[in-house]
Amino acid sequence: MTDIVSAPDVTTGGIVEARQVGETGARRYLVGAICIFMITIMLTPLVLSFLASVKTPEAASAVPPTYFPNALSLENYLTVATYQAGLWTYVSNSLIVAFLTIALCLGLAVPAGYALARYRIPFKELFFLLLLASMMIPYQAMLTPLYLLFSELRLTNNHLGLAIIHTILQLPFSVYLMRNSFEGIPKELEEAAVMDGCSSLQILRRVFLPLVLPGMVTVALFAFIMSWNEFIAALVFMSRETSFTVPVMLTGVSTGIFGVVDWGALQAGVIVSIIPCVLIYILLQRYYVSGLLSGAVK
Amino acid sequence: MGLPRLLKAPLGAASVVALMTSSVFAQDLTMWVRESAADPGQLMVDLWNSTHDAQIELTAIPDNQLVTKLATSVRAGEAPDLISFDLIYMPDFMRAGFLTDLTDQLQSDPNYETHIQAYKDIATYEDRIYGVGFTPDVSILVWNKELFREAGLDPEDPPETIYEIHEMATQIGALDDDTYGFYFAGSCPGCNIFVTSPIMVAGGAEILPRNGEDAALEGEAIHEVLDQYRQMWEEGLIPESAEVDAGENFVSAFTTGNIGITGSGGFLLSLMERQFPDFDYGVTLLPGLEPGQVSGFVGGDVVAIPEGSPNEETAREFVSWVLSDEAQLEGLAKNSILTTRTDLADNEYFQGNEKVQATAQALEAGYVPWVFHFATMVNSDSSPWINMIQRAVFDGEVESAIEDARARMLEIASQ
Amino acid sequence: MLATNNRLVGFLYLTPALLFVAVFVFYPLSQLIYISMTSESLLGGGQFVWFDNYIQAFTDRDFWRSFWFTVQYTVIITPILIGLGFLLALLVAENRPLVQFTRGVIFLPVVIGLASSSLLWVWLFDQQVGLLNKLLVDIGALDAPMVWFNRAHLGLFAVIVSVVWKIVGFGMIIMLAGMQTIGQDIVEASMIDGASYWQRVRRIIVPLSSRSILLATLISAIGSMLAFDQFYLMTGGAPRGQTFTSVYWIYQNSFVYFKLGYGSALSIILMVVIMCGAALQIAIQRRGEAQ
Repeated sequence: MTDIVSAPDVTTGGIVEARQVGETGARRYLVGAICIFMITIMLTPLVLSFLASVKTPEAASAVPPTYFPNALSLENYLTVATYQAGLWTYVSNSLIVAFLTIALCLGLAVPAGYALARYRIPFKELFFLLLLASMMIPYQAMLTPLYLLFSELRLTNNHLGLAIIHTILQLPFSVYLMRNSFEGIPKELEEAAVMDGCSSLQILRRVFLPLVLPGMVTVALFAFIMSWNEFIAALVFMSRETSFTVPVMLTGVSTGIFGVVDWGALQAGVIVSIIPCVLIYILLQRYYVSGLLSGAVK
Repeated sequence: MGLPRLLKAPLGAASVVALMTSSVFAQDLTMWVRESAADPGQLMVDLWNSTHDAQIELTAIPDNQLVTKLATSVRAGEAPDLISFDLIYMPDFMRAGFLTDLTDQLQSDPNYETHIQAYKDIATYEDRIYGVGFTPDVSILVWNKELFREAGLDPEDPPETIYEIHEMATQIGALDDDTYGFYFAGSCPGCNIFVTSPIMVAGGAEILPRNGEDAALEGEAIHEVLDQYRQMWEEGLIPESAEVDAGENFVSAFTTGNIGITGSGGFLLSLMERQFPDFDYGVTLLPGLEPGQVSGFVGGDVVAIPEGSPNEETAREFVSWVLSDEAQLEGLAKNSILTTRTDLADNEYFQGNEKVQATAQALEAGYVPWVFHFATMVNSDSSPWINMIQRAVFDGEVESAIEDARARMLEIASQ
Repeated sequence: MLATNNRLVGFLYLTPALLFVAVFVFYPLSQLIYISMTSESLLGGGQFVWFDNYIQAFTDRDFWRSFWFTVQYTVIITPILIGLGFLLALLVAENRPLVQFTRGVIFLPVVIGLASSSLLWVWLFDQQVGLLNKLLVDIGALDAPMVWFNRAHLGLFAVIVSVVWKIVGFGMIIMLAGMQTIGQDIVEASMIDGASYWQRVRRIIVPLSSRSILLATLISAIGSMLAFDQFYLMTGGAPRGQTFTSVYWIYQNSFVYFKLGYGSALSIILMVVIMCGAALQIAIQRRGEAQ
């Protein structure tokens, strides 16, 4: 994991070199000590949650609690696996919604980014601003009209419906990023393709798409993580237990009867909900961080 | 077992057909229940499933999400076949036309005649009936007999008025620093409508208005009860932690053993049996201002059929079955849950169990407020109801607290 | 002539996204404005009531309490996120393996869902089974495990701890990127002047990465003003409804009390506040782009 967050945009800059020149050995140790302290603080909650999830259910709900399991058990995971409609139902709901969101974001943002970066269109700036508008309009405030619209369109309790909400949320960033990606490609490449007699679509497919692939991966990555984690819209729009996504299912696990919560199962659920994000982050961190920065800083 | 089936004869051929089709297509029914009523709900559904072809699949939904999910799913035409929910939402859902009209079916059902009156009331809107009591509960007064003995009180003689509660609490509170006479969950609106409002109602008060012109918080009992609570709070007879208890310790405060008297619910009985079988306590009805005045808040869940249920016929059959002898005795009474039919309150399972019998009496004597907007008026964390209690008891502004709450309740009721 | 000069083709590429935004953003927005002037209920029914909902909103103590609570949350958490994020950015600016690893670990919780992290922390803070309580007792900071969610300020504190853990890495990365754009020559020049490390931070790094600091501040502030998940899952509004945030109160009115019309009016009020912030954010982004 050493190259985490050393994406192209985060190259070593001036300050760093400068600090190293004037640094004493003691200072280096101090930085190292603080680093280890921070790592401990950041990882402890996750480690404790994981350890609780592999305790026996009784040990996980024991009062007072223990830091470490006295016996390993997968029973908490089994509880979650068979929770109501079954964990797999919820995981597959979340996955389907996430992949539909990715498809929608790419399907809309790639052509839009292409047009915005490459075409002379009247009122282009206005259109661009319109596409970014939903960034300014918090979707949390739009739940009511969207809910009413979707219940007429029969899009509640529907994977596509929730994916549309998530796309509303993610589209501005996606368009922004795709436009930047297309802008980064030299004009000469396109001109050469035109000379060869390629049509507009062919140019997009053969010349541009391979070059904006990193941008597309970033768009997909962000769409996935946002969609997988999104809570309030899923809570409102998915009312049937068979259409719950993972976070909504977790709230079910977290409320017990007269406050008797199955803590071990809850932490097992938390771990299950965290794993895909962490895996993707570790595998595709370069895209993630560069995307974050080009979306926010550039 | 044969008798209830015979009683269903009026349903006639339709239900037979429904039964057949349901077994042919192996059509399972879906049913939702709020999480906190999931245990008794599951017992009932298991019993149904063991004796019927059409199986019901029960899903527990967190309490704070159930009404939202019911409303949104009915609007989207995707409601479950059956729903068990807090009876207090009945008026809102009936008025909205979200529930299936069960009038004809229930009026011709002899079992419905002996159904607890409070459930009949809450499930009737403009003379039409939309549901029946499912897993009942009712508020009661409990006292710790051990502490009564220590304080020199007769452990078999519970308080009969709010003033006696105060007197006995004073004697128990004098035992030592860690013992308190009385307890109530000071930040829990639901707990207090459950255990505090019946004391007022028993004393002749009217609490919640049905519309903008109705009586709201009228009657001297409102003032008297709040004033007694206030005095007990001032005198240190109630633990300080009560002020911020949003319901977490509603049950556990009493079970720790250092509280003399508190309001509770029928659910406490089975909980005690399971967890504290040796705890020596008594159960009686919540009193009023004078001896003989009693009441209780009838709670628990009602079962109803949302509009658009795909298996309406079988769902109707389940509703009738809930009132049958089989369901009442083998599903409820056998599991120490109250029956919802008055003629079955005296049954073999409750025999010799004074506590359950007292609770059953409370259920018959109890009331349930028939109002819209119960959530805003009472249940929300900043409702006029809880604001009134908190200002009166903890801040001592009894009079102005009642007046302000009355104004806000009428404002909400007129919407 | 380049194909890209063809305006019609270009517009066609743009159409799907524009249509999507028209149908799913602007149409609902117009509906929101309309609904906010009705007494629409989630249970159906309702009529046009002009500005009654807004008039009610301005005298609704609960709404303003939730609004000021949200402001309070934002005002407390934003400086923590930015201050701590900035210090962490300084810490992890080197490219030593250990430091890079630290960078990755601090950023890790950013990708975790807020719902998941809230349910993790609500467990850590639990009075009975919470290991954080146990830890605080073991190191002597507390006499006995305490209840964190029955007092508004303690609940707020617990939520802030959990959210800082989850998203401090976000501001860190943005500000780190801002620092990386500072030219080497400027830093070297200051070193020749004999400036100490902290002097350099104050005189050069802070001013020259001010745009990314401002941006991180705005993103954090807007996100905090829209907080919902963490309070819904950790405090549930308790005690006495003192920890309802604006979005939570809107959700509560719209979907628990069924008052869609009133909830919509509250949404619009909140939206106006947020839009001012977001407009500022976009302006900063676009100015940076132009440079």
